[in-house]
Amino acid sequence: MKLNTKDLLSAGLFIAFAVVGLWLNQDHNLGTARRMGPGYMPMLTFWLLIGLGSFVLVSGLFNGPDPLAKWSSAEIGFLIAGALAGVAVGMVAARIPGFPSSGWNPLGIGLFVGCLVAAVPPGWRALFLPSAAFTLFGLVLEPLGFLVAITLTVICAAFADREHLERPLGVAGLIAFLCVLCWAIFIWYLDIRVPLWPQI
Amino acid sequence: MDLIANLAHGFGVALTFNNLLFCLIGCIIGTAIGVLPGIGPVATISLLLPITFGQPATTAVIMLAGIYYGAQYGGSTTAILLNLPGEVSSVVTTLEGYKMARRGRAGAALTVAALASFFAGCVSTVLVAASGPLLTSVALSFGPADYFSLMMLGLIISAVLAQGSVVKSIGMVVFGVALGLVGTDVQTGQQRFTFGIPELSDGVGFVSIAMGMFGIAEIILNLEKPEARSVMSGKVGSLMMTREEVRRAIPSVLRGTTVGSLLGILPGGGAALSSFGSYMMERKVSKGRHEFGTGAIEGVAGPEAANNAASQTSFIPLLTLGIPANAVMALMVGALIIQGIQPGPRMVEAQPDLFWGLIASMWLGNLMLLIINLPMIGLWVKLLAIPYRHMYPSILIFCAIGVYSLQNNVFDVYQTVFFGLFGYLCSKLRLEPAPMLIGFVLGPMMEEHLRRAMLLSRGDPMVFVQRPISATMLAIGAIALIAMLLPNIRKGKDKALQE
Amino acid sequence: MRSVARRSVVMGIGASPLLAMGVVAEGAWPSQSIRLVVPFAPGGTTDLVARLIAAGLQEKLGFSIVVENRAGAGATLGSETVARAAPDGYTLVMSNIASHAISPAVYGNKVRYDPVKDFAHIALVVSNPTVWVANPRAGIRTMADVVARAKSAGGLQVATSGAGSSNHLLVVQMSRLIGTEITHVPFRGAGPAMQAVIAGQVPMMSDSLPSSAAHIKQGSVVAVGMCSAVRHPSFPDVPTFREQGFPLESDSWFGLSAPAGTPAPIIERLNREVMALLQTAEIRNRFAELGGTPGTYSAADYNSFIIREVAKWAPLVQAAGATAD
Repeated sequence: MKLNTKDLLSAGLFIAFAVVGLWLNQDHNLGTARRMGPGYMPMLTFWLLIGLGSFVLVSGLFNGPDPLAKWSSAEIGFLIAGALAGVAVGMVAARIPGFPSSGWNPLGIGLFVGCLVAAVPPGWRALFLPSAAFTLFGLVLEPLGFLVAITLTVICAAFADREHLERPLGVAGLIAFLCVLCWAIFIWYLDIRVPLWPQI
Repeated sequence: MDLIANLAHGFGVALTFNNLLFCLIGCIIGTAIGVLPGIGPVATISLLLPITFGQPATTAVIMLAGIYYGAQYGGSTTAILLNLPGEVSSVVTTLEGYKMARRGRAGAALTVAALASFFAGCVSTVLVAASGPLLTSVALSFGPADYFSLMMLGLIISAVLAQGSVVKSIGMVVFGVALGLVGTDVQTGQQRFTFGIPELSDGVGFVSIAMGMFGIAEIILNLEKPEARSVMSGKVGSLMMTREEVRRAIPSVLRGTTVGSLLGILPGGGAALSSFGSYMMERKVSKGRHEFGTGAIEGVAGPEAANNAASQTSFIPLLTLGIPANAVMALMVGALIIQGIQPGPRMVEAQPDLFWGLIASMWLGNLMLLIINLPMIGLWVKLLAIPYRHMYPSILIFCAIGVYSLQNNVFDVYQTVFFGLFGYLCSKLRLEPAPMLIGFVLGPMMEEHLRRAMLLSRGDPMVFVQRPISATMLAIGAIALIAMLLPNIRKGKDKALQE
Repeated sequence: MRSVARRSVVMGIGASPLLAMGVVAEGAWPSQSIRLVVPFAPGGTTDLVARLIAAGLQEKLGFSIVVENRAGAGATLGSETVARAAPDGYTLVMSNIASHAISPAVYGNKVRYDPVKDFAHIALVVSNPTVWVANPRAGIRTMADVVARAKSAGGLQVATSGAGSSNHLLVVQMSRLIGTEITHVPFRGAGPAMQAVIAGQVPMMSDSLPSSAAHIKQGSVVAVGMCSAVRHPSFPDVPTFREQGFPLESDSWFGLSAPAGTPAPIIERLNREVMALLQTAEIRNRFAELGGTPGTYSAADYNSFIIREVAKWAPLVQAAGATAD
């Protein structure tokens, strides 16, 4: 057999998604063909997805080999650790009164911590540091304002690229440039509504 | 002839200093927001509505229209240079445009996009002027069953957007349809798959998905492979199109203009379908079809012409019926009502200044956009020479601000991160994001029309084959599906041997 | 060009924190720009009226009013942000029939505010009658025709702007009144529904007057009945439902509200300013063209009006089965 790992995993993704969808769809009334309920179209869609997934699964058994890149044990470990840490921190944050539990902050904090933990092995940095940086932007924008958010996001994202670490001045320059540019475009010119300075 | 007299009148209106000025302002703002990822014409026009209060209605509408089609021009820039589609229509442009940029033909891709848009804009403007009312009846003759079949056909042919396995990309289309189910059910008002999250009650945001799966995922992939991005920067290439490229692009532009003008008239999905309808056509009929997937110029020229043509003809339902075809048109209605003009079926007769002035201004606006954009291309392409380590944090920041500004809600920012991670996973599994986005956009409309058609036909599914428009489209869809699947199954084994 | 793209400096967010630091404590309201949340997407009737009102109030108060669209979840998302905002008079919401009467019943405990207790209601701005219109070729001219069609073998289909809207609930009410089911055909907004009626795909539509006024005037649809207490001055020849023997009234409305706890003097001042604004010829004319009736309530009256509306719609939502679970 020539296993096509990519196809097998894709099929698994499709089928798992569809099964979860069908399970959730039990809450919805199917209705009749004339008066379709909210569950009718999801049912059709998920069954179709299961069908397509099975097709990909079967063909994936023969049209390989197409293996995925190997993951080191550290990468797997920190991926799981990141997921667990993210969920745990998010749940803890939701119980702390004040900033950590207000609005979507528990989600943001959990996502940020999870990405940071998963970014420990060097192989994951390209993946999780930009994600963490993006999350950080959402987290600090409203309380600390536009300029601080840009600064922190760029610093966090900069760690994803080794070239930056050798040139901290370059990062500082980039931050200054982006602060001025984004202020000019988004605040001065387009006038979108975000707090510019920290809101206390 | 009436038409010429009317157009002359229109140019008289559009060529006044004030109207020209605001047309130019609209075009410049439009180009700017088109280039910025995330910030779209809907958000901008709603921000700018208040400043139109003080102006005459015609001037206001000319400026707002300029923003709208200017954004279509600008949108292709980030799609080509950075693989960042801001709108549904530019998803298709990323496919060949970004590949062209990676081959060092970014200049040519941007040039052809601008020229194709200009040409299509001019032609479709004439179409709006000459046969607007006639075309309205075409839009009116589309019933729910016909829309459903059109969407179905759209989804089937969207699988050709895939570069790899057809079955997997059909899977992604269906995946997208499933994602589109999230939110409030239009027919019953029930919440589906929202997990009690109010932000999801209007569905997952298109911009979040597009920014995540294209923008962020692309950054991650580039960071992972430092060698890939060194190819990218530095290789700017010539700005001009080669004679060969011009020759190949011309027929595509003509076909794209036709497809776009026709589909743009249909309210709802029309404009969204136009660009990838054209892509599909180019992929099947153009001379360069064997180059698709590696940066074929036809794949930029056709869809760009189509989406600009569609954005002009989507004014037809508004101008002839007073019915907005999309969110931007709804804002135009708002702007008109604030000005004390009720958009309605008789707007052509009741407001000749507005109608003909707008049409003339669209033509002038397209010309201005060309003049603004062509010299800019050199500048845009130079962006590629910026070291990637400066580039990617900037893209992240621009995406983040854009996503946030849509609803002023950080939930959208976090949602985008999830789609970024998912997009990364998909690229590792060779799952294409483009078909998924199309499924996501068309799926909900398809469901709506399916259920409405069944409700109106009192449960008789024969309505889909009895109506000639619907039956024709389903037949084309069936043929296309069979034609696509047959060789794919056969090819499966050959491919296995190759690798 | 930039001065055009940008609204005036005062309106910019950049200026407001500076102002906030110095002057708020003085107690003179207003001392900074005011945020007016519209819980719908831009371009709808509520958004338009909000912008008209904002433009007028801005002149009277001397500070800018920034309209912010925060749509979603049956207008409850935007209303929720305001319910939780500081009650300092600088955050207002366009309260409306969806966010403050129907949606709380439709969305149940997912709505994390109380439409009465969490708000200080200021003023009713406008109420719009509901009108039933038909395709001219459908042969429906009076409410009697409506009933006859509903009882015929084919039944009657009525389009609306969406499930859970006041129009939907009106269709349910009407069905119960005549004892025959009218098929409800929901669309995504009034525009597409109107197009389907003009094209003849659906014979009738229940719509709020502003979105159908132009189409009635131009004859592309026929007005069958006005669902309000009295005939509308702009359409004197369209009889009401009640005149035709159907005792139903359904006006959609919207007004201005602030978070609960906003100081009473601010509420009173805003009510006075809005009432004065609604009396100006310009606004009156604009509303008349749109088919709306300007509100006249005091703040207390608006509050009790909302209490009545909440009580009115909850059972109808239950009956329509339009709860969102």
